[in-house]
This record gives sequence, structure tokens and C-alpha cells, in this order.
Amino acid sequence: MDKFEQAFNEIIEKDLKVEPRDWMPEKYRKNLIRQISQHAHSEVIGMQPEGNWLLRAPSLRSKQVLLAKIQDEAGHGLYLYSVAETLGISRQEMNAQLHSGEAKYSSIFNYPTLTWADMGAVGWLVDGAAIVNQVSLQRTSYGPYSRGMVRICKEESFHQRQGYEIMVQMANGTPEQKEMAQDALNRFWEPSLMMFGPHDADSAHSSQSMAWKIKRESNDHLRQRFIDRTVPQAHFLGLTIPDENLKFNEETGHWETSPFNWDEFWNVIKGNGPCNRERLDHHKKAHNENAWVREAAAAYSSKVETSVA
Amino acid sequence: MESGDRTWEVFIQKKPGLAFKHAGSCHGYDKKMAIQNARDLYTRRGEGRALWVVPTEAIVSVPLDDAEAFFDPGEDKAYRHATFYKIPDGVSHL
Amino acid sequence: MKLELQHDESKFLIRLADTSVILGQRLAEMCSRGPFLEEDMALSNISLDLFGRAEELYKLICKIEGADYTPDDLVYRRNEREYYNIKLVEQPNEDFAWVIARQFFHDLYAETLFGQLTTSSNAELAGLAVKVLKEIKYSHMHAADWMDRLGLGTEESNHRLQYAVDHLRKYIVEIFDFDDLDRRFIADTASLETTWRNAVSAKLQACNIEEKEIVTPSIRDFRDGYHSEHMGNLLSIMQYLPRAYPDAKW
Repeated sequence: MDKFEQAFNEIIEKDLKVEPRDWMPEKYRKNLIRQISQHAHSEVIGMQPEGNWLLRAPSLRSKQVLLAKIQDEAGHGLYLYSVAETLGISRQEMNAQLHSGEAKYSSIFNYPTLTWADMGAVGWLVDGAAIVNQVSLQRTSYGPYSRGMVRICKEESFHQRQGYEIMVQMANGTPEQKEMAQDALNRFWEPSLMMFGPHDADSAHSSQSMAWKIKRESNDHLRQRFIDRTVPQAHFLGLTIPDENLKFNEETGHWETSPFNWDEFWNVIKGNGPCNRERLDHHKKAHNENAWVREAAAAYSSKVETSVA
Repeated sequence: MESGDRTWEVFIQKKPGLAFKHAGSCHGYDKKMAIQNARDLYTRRGEGRALWVVPTEAIVSVPLDDAEAFFDPGEDKAYRHATFYKIPDGVSHL
Repeated sequence: MKLELQHDESKFLIRLADTSVILGQRLAEMCSRGPFLEEDMALSNISLDLFGRAEELYKLICKIEGADYTPDDLVYRRNEREYYNIKLVEQPNEDFAWVIARQFFHDLYAETLFGQLTTSSNAELAGLAVKVLKEIKYSHMHAADWMDRLGLGTEESNHRLQYAVDHLRKYIVEIFDFDDLDRRFIADTASLETTWRNAVSAKLQACNIEEKEIVTPSIRDFRDGYHSEHMGNLLSIMQYLPRAYPDAKW
């Protein structure tokens, strides 16, 4: 072991942060790039299911809130892309990996948003699940990622509340609105639980990520925390969690659920979800149809900016 | 990187009188775009009153290998700190 | 619910409010469709400013009218012929050049207009104009920079911008065809037009876009609630939920 590797191991052991210029094992770097770019792509693709209702937001207030939220997601995508860039991969490469299917994004965004209540469910459940995960990642061992997470968590604190506010409104609204709210919960409940990834025993990258302190808590652990928080929130709304076997275990103090439909989970990951193709096509289309704009910006810059500094 | 697209380091001054603090980086094809992108990315919530962007490639840093040579010699010069000196009791404003 | 306005000041202000909300909606359509993420954020910011501006203006209108309806009622429960936005802003996002040219034309107009309103005798309106003016100055700068990039960038971008400019200029004439209401509330209508025309000419020349002769089109005035065909489609999307569920609160 050379002195650089020793220094790296010491950083991990002592819960310090690895910085971009520090030596790190190639696998650590690759693992980080995979996770961070996936995280970034999720923010960016996640703009689409919400964007689907942006133009139909039913009040000036809800329109501004939703747009500000989607804009935050673009911003968080950008923070994360720039974190990944510190590891030596360019935005262009990450985009190419997204388009080729080599890089993934969270499967939850391959589900369609069918009614306005879905804006509630997405904020409450999807952002809620993401926040549980991201709070844990504030302690990740890679410095720029950790600092990015701190910033993102701070900014996203309104996202889940925004969603829950819509759910409250709908659950206490007309019978039709209440029906939409229940329907949205029915459709997003299980997919949002699966956002935490496979069970710990089946998770390909988990153990190494935990050892390097990239991930700080296991999938199942985080998932349980989310379930325990969310079930009482659903009860408050007067909505029913779509799981007949849901029950509170007095001994452990945790809510227990039915086994998930992992076949669907893997099928959606493999590209066969309701909107996989649509999400990627949308992204590619915007990118490709605007290539001329980027070319213009590059040409203009080379004409007017002779010196960099 | 896509031709023409460059990265810039972003520094924000929270309010007049404070130091500019590094906030992160952003992309931009030219100076005007870079500073506008930095504004939209880093000051959406009133985080600052002044903003700098600097081309990332213009940043010079100490090579990792030289870190010890650069910084260790500064660590044992206790006489550069006020606490090094003994002042008799009863003397004030020192 | 009767949404007919009784006061001249609100009849004038609703033109500005409608123009803001419709342009905000058009820009919101660009969300996740920009040339790159940073520009997505920039356009979202401008869109947010426009929705916020519209909301404040509608609030002023409701106040002047002593109304029992809300800004949302005005936005979601009027049809095409009851909307009074300039037609320029309802034109579609054919491509990024249209977005930029439309924004540049609008911002120049709005900047002078709200600049004049900062001295309005209605203190609330004057205060709002001061705030709005800052937003417009930024948006104007953003659009003007892109006019340069597209006009002077590549041959393709120059052609696209030229095409957008040629089309959109047809919707300029009506803006300066002032009526009595305009003349009552805009201190200096003549300078509004000359400032706009001079600045546009200078910009087009600077970014290598030809200012072609255009024949005055036979288009009826936005002040009477006339629109292009795009308007009904825009509203049918925007107003869908409150129209489909009239009893629901959102």
C-alpha cells in the first residue's frame, strides 16, 4: 500500500471527506460517477412527469409553486452534474450515457402522471422518499457530493410539503377530488417504496458502497424509515394505503408491508415501464432539436471572446 | 466537453463587506452567459448581492505531491500567533 | 359570476395582466425543452416573474373593481374573446429563435411601459412597476444577449432568427395603435413607440438581422379581444381543470 492509498483509507476510516484532488481507488471513482450521474439524471428526467401538469396547473399559486419546484430539479441536476465533473467525466459524456441507456435514472419517473392529484403524490411520496435518501447522503464520504446534498436537502425542504398540501386539498375536496387523491396514492405507493432499490441482499453495489461510506445506510433501512413516516401521514389524509397486509408491529415499532412486486421493478429498470421510451425520447428530442442553438453559442463565443480570462 | 461549452467557478458575496465564497461551478459558452447561469443556479433564494465567475482552467492549485512542502513549514511558527507572547497582568489593550 | 370590468383603470390594467400571464404560459411550455439545462432554468425564472407580475396586476384589478371574484377567476374563467393580451405573446414556440425574438420584442415594450407606470398616480401600481421594472431589465438583457448569439452565431441561427423576426413583427403594429384608454394611463405613448422602434432597429442591425419592409397586416385589435388561432388552444390547456371541475377548489 503506497502513501496515497493509506491516506485514502485513513480519510474513510476517520469519517473525513475525500476531495477531488485526493488519490482514490479507480473503483471508488467509477462507483461514485455511476451513482452521482444516476442521481443527476433522475433530477432531470424527473422534470417531465411534473412538467406534464405544469401548463394545466389549476391556480396561479399552484402554477408558480410547481414551476419553482421543477426549476429546482433542473438546478439540482446541475449541482450533481458538476459534482460528477470533479471526478473527470464531462456533461456531454453523461448525456451520451443517458441517451444510450448505459446510465440509469430512478425508475419512478417512468410512471405516468395521470391526474392533478399525481402532483400531490409525486411531491409527497416521491420527493419524500428521495429526501430520506438524500438526508442520509449528506454524510457521504466524497466531499463535493456531501456538500451538494446539504444544499439540495435545504432547498428541497419545500418540495414534499408542496405535495402534501395538494393531497390535503384534494382529500378534503369534492368527491371527485378525493377519488383522484386515493387513485394517485394507489398508483404511487409501491413504486415509491421501490425507489430505495432492491433488498439489501439483492443489491449489486451496496456492500462496497457502504464500506467506502458512499452510502451510509442500507436500502431496507431507509425504506423502513420512509414507511414509518408516511403511513400516519396517509391516515391523517383519510386515505387508505393500498396494502391489505399493512400492519403495525408493536414489538419493533415498525409498519410491516406485503412483499413488493419485484418482477415489475426489474422490468421497469430494464426499460419496459409505461414511459421509459417517452422520457428518453423527450430528452433526446430537446437536445437534438436545439443543437443549432449550442452551435450558435459556440460560434459566437469564439468570435467575441478571444481571451479566456 | 461539447465544443465552446466551458465550466466556470462561481463565487458569491452574501452581503457587502463579506468575503466572496466559492459556491460551486457552472457552465457557459461566454462570460455573459456564465454569469447569468451562475445567478440562476446559485442565487435563486437571495443567497448573494454580488457574483464572480472565473474560468475553471484559470484556477491554479497546489499539486497534491507538494502539499506537505507548501503547508507543513507554516505549522510550527508559533511566534506568528498572539498567544505566543506573555504580557504582565494589569496591562490592557494589547 | 360576472367578470365584466366596470372601471377604466382595470380595463387598461387587464391588458398588461393578460399579456403577462399568456407569455408566462408560453415560456412554461419550454420547461425541459431548452437547448441545455441552464437555459431551462433561465426561461423558468422569467416565466415565474411573469406569473407573479400577472397575479399582482389581477389583484389590483380585483381591488379597483371591489370584486367578489379572484385573480384565478379572471385567469381561468374567461374565454378567448374576453382576453386582452397583445397577440405577440400568444405566438407559439416554433423554435428557440421565436422564443428569444418574442421575448426581446416584449421586454423592450414592457420596459418602457412599466418605466412610465412608476410615476402612476395609483401608488400601488407605481410601487409594483418599480419592482417589475427590475425583472424586465434582467429578462431584456438575457434576450438581447441571445439575439447577439443567434444573429451573429452561425448561418443557420441567423436564418432562424431572421425568420422568427419577420413573422413576429407582424404583431407589432397593433401594440402602438393606441386608444383613449392607453392615452389616459400611459404618460407618453409617442415615446413608447419611438423608444421601441429605435432600440429594435439598432439591435437588429447590430446582430445582422434585416429589418424588412412589412405591409401593415389586416389584423383586428387585441384591445377588442381579437386573437390568433393559437389563443384558444393555449387557454383550453391552461383552463382545463377549473373548467372541468367548476365546483372544486385547488
